[in-house]
Amino acid sequence: MVEYSGSRLDRVFAALSDPTRRAILSRLRRGPSTVTEIAEPFDVSLTAVSKHVRVLEEAGLLRREIRGREHRCSLQAAPLQQASRWMEEYRVFWEQRLDALEEFLRSRRKGSGGRR
Amino acid sequence: MINDAPSHTIRLVRLLPAPPEEVFDAWTDPASMKYWMCPGTISETTAQLDVRVGGRFTIVMRGTSGDHVHSGEYREIERPRRLAFTWVSKGTHGRETIVTIELRSRGRDQTELTLTHEGMPDDEATSRHRGGWGDILTKLEAHVTRAGARPEVR
Repeated sequence: MVEYSGSRLDRVFAALSDPTRRAILSRLRRGPSTVTEIAEPFDVSLTAVSKHVRVLEEAGLLRREIRGREHRCSLQAAPLQQASRWMEEYRVFWEQRLDALEEFLRSRRKGSGGRR
Repeated sequence: MINDAPSHTIRLVRLLPAPPEEVFDAWTDPASMKYWMCPGTISETTAQLDVRVGGRFTIVMRGTSGDHVHSGEYREIERPRRLAFTWVSKGTHGRETIVTIELRSRGRDQTELTLTHEGMPDDEATSRHRGGWGDILTKLEAHVTRAGARPEVR
């Protein structure tokens, strides 16, 4: 099983738990933007958006390039892929366990007449 | 990845050929678990289960590449309807995740089992989520793949 940093996953999940942050990530899909550009469509203060940007940055989902007074933000999807792979691996794990559980229950039903 | 559950969760639904009591017991009986909690390359599974709220369990899967240990604590035990426990392993990298099993009778000797595996154990955080991130995830992955970007190798 691939190994992921537990605390990194925590930060990714926490970052994604907010709809404004998810919307920011969606916006960055279209290309890098400054914090001001990101803040434009939102009905919250620039300060609030800056906080969200920082959370995303700390989760590794966003990279910031500072050029003079401009903070240019770009999407870093790798942590999302890691989180998604983690979940996908567990989906496969549980699908297989439930297959085996079904088989186990079925074989017991057959055997309940006293023979194996 | 199609996932209509709230953020950070996996949800699977299955119809199983046994009544809820039997299905429930398969999850709480170490002897039963030996048979089915046994992924492909695993030669042997042993389980120690202290089945009470707050009780701990340890499941060891012995495979060709060594032992895989899964452990956790029971949070809810409502036979035969509901079982919830934390789940920690190398695969979760030490993070405490939560697995919930819900069982509903679907006619004679049939049970609908719903398994939910949540990556975020904080109930408050999970309930705040509306509209999961499954959709954005799919779009972002497609975006990155198209752009030719490579995922980080850890």
